[in-house]
Amino acid sequence: MSEKFVIPIGPQHPALKEPSHFEIFVDGEEVIKATLRLGYVHRGIEKGAEQRTWTQNLYLMERICGICSHVHAMAFVQGVEALAGVQAPPRARAIRQVVAELERLHSHLLWLGVAAHEAGFDALFMYSWRDRETVMDLLELLSGNRVNYSANLLGGVKFDVTPEQKVRILDGVSFLEERVRYYLSVVNSDETFLGRTRGVGILSREEAERLGAVGPTARASGVPRDVRVDVPYAAYSEFPIKMVLSQQGDLQARFVVRLEELFESIRVIREILNNLPESELTVRMPRRIPAGEVISRVEAPRGELFYFIVSNGSDRPERVKVRTPSLANWGTVLATAPGHKLADVPMLVAGIDPCFSCNDRMVVVKTAR
Amino acid sequence: MTLNLNPLVILLIFPGGLFLIVAGLAYEYVDRKLVARFQNRIGPRWFQPLADLLKLLSKEEITPRGVQRDLFYLLPLFALASTLTASLYVPMAGLTPAYAFQGDLIVTIYLLSVLTLSMGLAGASTVDRFALVGATRTLTQLFSYEAPFMLALLGPAIAAQTWQIRTINEYAGQNLWLMIAQPIGFLVALLGLMGKLELPPFDAPEAETEIVAGALTEYSGRGLALFRLSKDIELVIGLTLVAAFYLGGIHSPLDFLIKTLGLLLVVALLQTLFARLRIDQVVGLWWRIGTILVVIQLIAIVIGRYIGSSIF
Repeated sequence: MSEKFVIPIGPQHPALKEPSHFEIFVDGEEVIKATLRLGYVHRGIEKGAEQRTWTQNLYLMERICGICSHVHAMAFVQGVEALAGVQAPPRARAIRQVVAELERLHSHLLWLGVAAHEAGFDALFMYSWRDRETVMDLLELLSGNRVNYSANLLGGVKFDVTPEQKVRILDGVSFLEERVRYYLSVVNSDETFLGRTRGVGILSREEAERLGAVGPTARASGVPRDVRVDVPYAAYSEFPIKMVLSQQGDLQARFVVRLEELFESIRVIREILNNLPESELTVRMPRRIPAGEVISRVEAPRGELFYFIVSNGSDRPERVKVRTPSLANWGTVLATAPGHKLADVPMLVAGIDPCFSCNDRMVVVKTAR
Repeated sequence: MTLNLNPLVILLIFPGGLFLIVAGLAYEYVDRKLVARFQNRIGPRWFQPLADLLKLLSKEEITPRGVQRDLFYLLPLFALASTLTASLYVPMAGLTPAYAFQGDLIVTIYLLSVLTLSMGLAGASTVDRFALVGATRTLTQLFSYEAPFMLALLGPAIAAQTWQIRTINEYAGQNLWLMIAQPIGFLVALLGLMGKLELPPFDAPEAETEIVAGALTEYSGRGLALFRLSKDIELVIGLTLVAAFYLGGIHSPLDFLIKTLGLLLVVALLQTLFARLRIDQVVGLWWRIGTILVVIQLIAIVIGRYIGSSIF
């Protein structure tokens, strides 16, 4: 086969549940080069935010991503609260953190299933998604919704955690802890699965730093980068988490880092629920937010989620800019793909836990002629 | 058991035509249901394989631009015809094979390979990039499992000192199960069958997350239906062959059902246990481990026979 043989992956392809377009240049089975085109699902959310009030925007931001809806709302709410000079009460911040960590549980289990499916390991896929239902049920128990929990309000949260709910959540996470421990042993011991992950897609620490990787992808390469630890928000300063790092930098490390992170999530959920601070759930927020601009960062399941919010003193934002973690991680896929087999490409793509629809924004690139 | 049947009946109804189609669909159902239960899913209803087949047959068949038309339409027919023909020499349903001659084992093995070869050619005759990569992988996989699979079937043939499936079947029935005497051959034959049928973990040639449907990506309607039917039929024939050789032969319909379904259970379990092997891992596995082990066993059988014959 000639050097120009290009395998297109996407925008419609069974491996991708969301649209993007990869061009994989192959020589036989070996990848020579990979390019990426994004932007098939640009939804104009940032522009839409400028025409809605601060409260209405809360619901819009929650719908940027279906999987990590809570962290989007949290990043937005925390930014607006900072602009208004208001701090949410301690109990509200603790509940925000509980929901965020439950969301991490559900997101990482979902990813585990998808990644196992890319490796053709459907048994793991089916089992992890079955167990993921547990955490979905817990989120429904708390909020009434499985996906868009709508936990946040400007200046607080919408619901409290009752003692009965606390018991059921603790039961649920104990079950999940057991299951995650089992999945960790599977990804570390199943020979055929290790054949697809060990030593595949190695991303050195220097490369990860140069390409600006975030989240578990960066931490699997030994880059200590976690907003929850670096700049604690919500209740992370009262209930801190330990950063999970690996020096290996391959796909196996990304599996291990994500799964071990879940133990930290479960530990911190238990700690918060057993020591939930007593306070109001909301504080009063002004309808008009004082003029100014703010950067708000939170750690989404996929990595650092970045919000830039500008207020002009009215009841609507002047500008909201969102950068989702997937956008920061694409470079690592394209940089590690050459030299691998074609069969590894879906695994490499899945390895960063991509979320396509969330990261598609309007970008104007001015090329110098 | 022997049945005296009109040759036309043999070709069209039993064991050649209708029986095999029904059996193929039934075994596909059992396989899908078992895999689904192992994966904690509910699985299809009993008529799902038939419904799939009828739906595909009734659908429009698209001729993609740039294909070799004759090859494109003939290859599915060719694949189905060869698989059906292979059944004539195999003790289907525990009855004596319809036809037998010295050397029919070799003919059967070749007839069973025609399906894979047809799929490879079908993929290569289109201009679709996924189909081309799929065809390359299909043929690569063919070259890797075919030799060990054949050697694994030769083990019992050498033990029985005949190249006739019917005689081997009788020999297997009179002796200790060859699965115990030749465990490596049994394992290689079973895995080789899974490789032939492109079942997980040997499904790299049709890995949907990489190359959509592999060699058959451009097929729709009748062509796809026939290819899928051929695969189902080959599953039944392959299981019968392995059961006849390694599980003490099959001598009655009940014997046939128990032994082939038992094997299918193992095959379904193996499908759920592993992650998909990359094509280079498949080749490595067969040539570095499979072939060498089978050759060692074959040498052991030959030496055993030589010693055995020199004593008596």
